[in-house]
Amino acid sequence: MNRSAVLVVLVLAVLATSAGCTGTSPEQTILTVIPAGSLLYPLENIEAAFESQHPEIDVRIEGHGSIQAIRQVTDLEREVDVVAVADASLIPDMMYRLMGEGGSNYTDWYVAFAGNEVVIAYTNKSAGADEITQENWYQVLACPDVRVGFSNPMLDACGYRALMVTALAEEYYGESGLFEAIIGSSFDPPLTVTRADGIRKITLPERMRPADEKVAIRDGSIYLLSLLDAGGIDYAFEYRSVAEEHGLRWIDLPPQINLGSAEHADDYQKVHVTLGFRRFQSIGSERVGQPIVYAITIPANAPHPDEARMFVDFVLEAFQEGRPGWPAPETATVYHATG
Amino acid sequence: MILVRQAYLTLLTLLIIGVVALAPGCIGTTGADDYPAWNLTLAGDQEQVLTHPELRALPAVEGYGYSVSTVGIKYGPNRFRGVLLADLVEMAGGAGGDDLIYVSAEDGYLWVFDTDQVNGEGFFTFNEDLKEVTPPPLRVILAYDQDGKPLAYEDGGPLRLVIITENPDVITEGSSWVKWVDRIEVHKK
Repeated sequence: MNRSAVLVVLVLAVLATSAGCTGTSPEQTILTVIPAGSLLYPLENIEAAFESQHPEIDVRIEGHGSIQAIRQVTDLEREVDVVAVADASLIPDMMYRLMGEGGSNYTDWYVAFAGNEVVIAYTNKSAGADEITQENWYQVLACPDVRVGFSNPMLDACGYRALMVTALAEEYYGESGLFEAIIGSSFDPPLTVTRADGIRKITLPERMRPADEKVAIRDGSIYLLSLLDAGGIDYAFEYRSVAEEHGLRWIDLPPQINLGSAEHADDYQKVHVTLGFRRFQSIGSERVGQPIVYAITIPANAPHPDEARMFVDFVLEAFQEGRPGWPAPETATVYHATG
Repeated sequence: MILVRQAYLTLLTLLIIGVVALAPGCIGTTGADDYPAWNLTLAGDQEQVLTHPELRALPAVEGYGYSVSTVGIKYGPNRFRGVLLADLVEMAGGAGGDDLIYVSAEDGYLWVFDTDQVNGEGFFTFNEDLKEVTPPPLRVILAYDQDGKPLAYEDGGPLRLVIITENPDVITEGSSWVKWVDRIEVHKK
């Protein structure tokens, strides 16, 4: 092989090797977007519309639970362009802190842009489907032979919100023992609501494993819906948008207990759930009742901040119109870190 | 002519350096002597620290692992090799029926298993359509190899909790698949 041939072979080897490593089209900017699970459906719709207007950008959406979404940026130090979560309070709690010594915070702002509420989802096959109403839902769910499901509070905010809603319902309807009848007595030892200084507190065991078949717990919403469809449970605590997206029947709950109303934020805050263990060192195990508010931010170390800003603006605009199966639009409000 | 030859040699050297530098990143090979400096602490009635080679010297099992995230993203199937979690719990002094096993990781993640789960029971399993199926025999291992190669860091290596079966089509919940495991602790009840 002459010198020229050797050079050509080596040049080709370098090009082939480096192309294999990066695997990207040089014309397109890859925008990494990490949303909470209940935002996956709207963001996948938005992604298609955004990319058709911006063919130079390839949006890559990677769904996680809200806390795990933020941890991709903080604990796992990944370079992410946009983070969107189902609990706005997580952003100041977990991202208003320094990236490293002398560095800036992971972010100093977020935009609250949508809301949601907890509903009781069911199908035509559910036991009591013909009788259940907004007035008697808690009595139907309390029946011993009616099976109820919610997602694992250790993994999904909708899971601990289900517990909060049930504890609030006990107070709202004046039905002592309602929490135990719907959920608590299916655990050994039973889960209870304790009261001290005006706070109702539910303390969970390390392993959320029901002792009977009245209650079913799964890792996430999609598994709960699959179980509901298969008849493995009769009712599931779900976000309204998720029930709507999947074409389920559902019961709307009063705003005093559905975690969907800013007016009742003070009442919601009187319910606390203490998780069975601290799954992440970066956040504690106490969850306090709050209205469900979705928020979006761009991490300070986002590799493509300009494109990320375009995408966030696009998301906010799309959400102001809203669509069936999406979290409900709320006036976009920007919050900044203080001090 | 001499200048041309020197320029050629310089270019050739740079290209060879380029190939050598880039190739390992793509191929990701690791020699047998290159296992990462990664220790595993076992804590229970007694506490001991195993180095990576010491862990590899323990009796190993293999099987298929296929996981799904809480939002439905599937990972796998892959072939995994590692040490039974039950064996590691025994090395920590064993666990009673009500005891819990805390498996924690370098990144601050913690997941808790009961003793049924340590023995492969009490998990939910799914088919490719993510419909629940009756669980086949499952085993929980601390995996160090994936598809015949050391488990890569981006896949949760060097040590990751994995649920294995004999069937490549069985999907298990990813919440138990703790990445970057560095401590296994028995909590007595």
